[in-house]
Amino acid sequence: MDVKLPKLGEGADSGVVVGILVKEGDKVTKGQTILELENEKAVAPIPSTADGVVAKIHVKEGAKISIGALLVTLEGAAGSAAPAESEAPAAAPKAKKTKKAPVVVEADDDDVEEADEEESFDDVEVAAPPSVRKVAREIGLDLRRVKGSESGGRIVMADVRAYIQKLIKLAAKGKAAPAAAASAAAPAKPVAESIDFSQWGEITKKPMSGLRKVIARRMVESVTTIPQVTQFDDIDITALNDLRKKFAADYEKAGARLTLTPFAIKALVAALKKHPIMNSSLDEATEEIVFKDYYHIGIAVDTDAGLMVPVIKDADKKSLLEISKELEEIAKKARDRKLSADDMKGGTFTISNQGGIGGAHFTPIVNKPEVGIFGMGRGGLKPVVVGKEVQVRLLMPIAISYDHRLIDGGTAARFTVDLAAAYAAITEADVKL
Amino acid sequence: METIKTDIVVVGAGPGGYAAAFYAADQGKKVILVEKDPKLGGVCLNRGCIPSKALLNATKAIKEARESAHRGITFAEPTIDLAKLRDWKNSVITKLNGGVASLAKMRGVEVMHARGYFEGSQTLRVETEQGQKFISYDKAIIAVGSKAALPKAFDLGNPRVMTSRGALEVEDIPENLLVVGGGYIGMELGTVYAGLGSKVVVIEALDSLLAGADADLARPVVAYAKKAFKEVRLKAKVLAMSTVGKQIKVTSEFNGQKLEELYDRVLVAVGRGPNSKDLGLENTKVTCDEKGFIKINAQQQTEDPNIYAIGDVAGGIMLAHKASKEARIAVDVITGHNSAFEKIVIPAVVFTDPEVAWAGLTEAEAKKQGREVKVAKFPWGASGRALSFDRPDGLTKLIIDPETERILGVGIVGHGAGELIAEGTLAIEMGATVTDLAETVHPHPTLSETLMESAEVFFGHATHTFVKKAAPTA
Repeated sequence: MDVKLPKLGEGADSGVVVGILVKEGDKVTKGQTILELENEKAVAPIPSTADGVVAKIHVKEGAKISIGALLVTLEGAAGSAAPAESEAPAAAPKAKKTKKAPVVVEADDDDVEEADEEESFDDVEVAAPPSVRKVAREIGLDLRRVKGSESGGRIVMADVRAYIQKLIKLAAKGKAAPAAAASAAAPAKPVAESIDFSQWGEITKKPMSGLRKVIARRMVESVTTIPQVTQFDDIDITALNDLRKKFAADYEKAGARLTLTPFAIKALVAALKKHPIMNSSLDEATEEIVFKDYYHIGIAVDTDAGLMVPVIKDADKKSLLEISKELEEIAKKARDRKLSADDMKGGTFTISNQGGIGGAHFTPIVNKPEVGIFGMGRGGLKPVVVGKEVQVRLLMPIAISYDHRLIDGGTAARFTVDLAAAYAAITEADVKL
Repeated sequence: METIKTDIVVVGAGPGGYAAAFYAADQGKKVILVEKDPKLGGVCLNRGCIPSKALLNATKAIKEARESAHRGITFAEPTIDLAKLRDWKNSVITKLNGGVASLAKMRGVEVMHARGYFEGSQTLRVETEQGQKFISYDKAIIAVGSKAALPKAFDLGNPRVMTSRGALEVEDIPENLLVVGGGYIGMELGTVYAGLGSKVVVIEALDSLLAGADADLARPVVAYAKKAFKEVRLKAKVLAMSTVGKQIKVTSEFNGQKLEELYDRVLVAVGRGPNSKDLGLENTKVTCDEKGFIKINAQQQTEDPNIYAIGDVAGGIMLAHKASKEARIAVDVITGHNSAFEKIVIPAVVFTDPEVAWAGLTEAEAKKQGREVKVAKFPWGASGRALSFDRPDGLTKLIIDPETERILGVGIVGHGAGELIAEGTLAIEMGATVTDLAETVHPHPTLSETLMESAEVFFGHATHTFVKKAAPTA
């Protein structure tokens, strides 16, 4: 049977394939993720709709596909339980050892990023007459960016002209198309050059996974478009940690692990409520500030494949126990790569808790289009002057990175102070089941 | 010692070399063209394309005269004046030699008939009749071509064992000719000699003739060869050769049997090798692959920043028109233009009887790549023009991308296929769709209609053939 791309949810009817997790010959079970599709701001795992053996894969990484697109063809094996062997991560890219021998590095130009609705980057070859290809080569234009108007999608000179005029218009507007504008001016995007690292010793090469490429692109987008400032502080969590210890057993019985993260979510939501600007987004197209009356907190989860940020929706309406349970669920889903696109959408502020690993202050990068991110380091016992005497207190290093386009230093400082206060305001009544 | 300064030196004056020299001169460069042969034009003009086509054309008349008997026109048996045939063939070559030389002169391209030897990255030593000279150049283009391979085991030092070069001299008409190699050179020259009256046996190591052409395109040629040749042996191997009096004793293996036969001449057409030796390349940074072909990038640049290579010596498909295209790319790059050998369709033509020609993707390549294509075929039996030629043994086919309906490849077998393929090549380069081809009016009655009609076959409404559609009710 054929597995086709299902409906993906509100407003999303297409996406770019960023990862294929099965290969031909693999046994798959119904519900198993077969590929990862990136749409809007999320990478959505696409599950198989049936049990079977993958007979043919019809899509390639980097291809833009729409609802109903044929993904894979499955054969036989109805209902039979998949043996454990198929659990192995099928799509793990093969590492290849290289020594001094010259290596042909494939130019990775499947630049999914710049593809807007008009520019499709599927793997159909460009159809254009030699005269148009010659001009394109001379000006450094990748014809895959140009939509052909003639039969069969053939690109004629008029299409190239229209494309360049569009870029010029965008550049003149100075709108949010810096990448496009740059490529209008010249083949300006600096060509990535390969460095032959093998000249200094033995190396291993591994292709970037689809997820890794998405992460890389999002990070670059965030730091290149948002002026970011990071505010540091230390929060005294001595009392809070005592509370946590006191009730940990109760939570355990209720089926949840009480860590510091649920408290962080609670405190963060309280601080966000006091500072609505911290819970907003900038609509770059209309130059409006969008304030949100909901509090969806993104949680950065460290997985083998890379960073994923599932979202806890309506955190303000949930109890500590509910949040604790949900945290465990989403973290597990993230590690199993079973998060759906909806699981990762709609966040208003993100928490990156490194406390479990170690380390102190760090400068987290804002998860665009949110305007701030809360970074937590590992708490430790420190000598603190209280009144006139030195006490041993449990201090947690924290960092708030924010979008300076919307938030000024004063606001950020007040927010940080209020966040610390919100931590301190958590009482036994809040924790008790 | 004399040192001559120039912008560009081109080594080798074949269809790659002289095209490069002329184009560079047209761009205002000072150019020296170095050719070791006393005549310009290279293998193509002197010992390849041109003489073989001249001979094929001449001998075709013999066959056609014979075949016209069933159309009610009978000729007497032809007499062949071999010396006159040779003279005529040579006159064609001489005319073209002169043409190339005068084109060089008009452009101010200095021609040196000399062996060129690289002394360094920017110095070429030439041994002319007037003595040794040194050329100091900015850029060099190597276009020294290839030569027919003659495996050591077959090299008896006996002129009766020939490569294409010797065969095109037509010293005599051997009664029994063995052709080793069923590729395009073996098949073309086998056709010439069969036309002259030789009993031709072809031995091919692979399981098909004309490797590279799709099987359905090769089929009419195989049918012809079976009729015109004494024998075609596939999956056969020549083990040894020796001179026995005025003949060659050939030991071969076929169908598990060892054969010993005597032939009057043997044509060895088992491939061609690059002329990259004895050029002094070791004094430059130019590198070659294990077969001796010069390594280049898409800009025709060798590892040496001052030296470019084009044509057969740079590897790839060994055809004159590919060399000429590479010549333009090399000169464009040298003169600062952004040019590259990328996605260029190189058509191939085999001048057998009937001719086979193809361009772009072949059906076999598509299958090998696992690429889904649609194929539309129009058999020439349905072409009025082909029937009026009395040559219905032809086929035109299109290889089509099922999604965009773009034409990815064209294959033609039949009378004049070599001329017809040009339209197919243009269609592919232009990114034409099947509709474009079907909607373009083709003149009647011509063979070019077969391209239009095969496009119509794709849509199921070709006028001159009937395509059965799936289950029409009513």
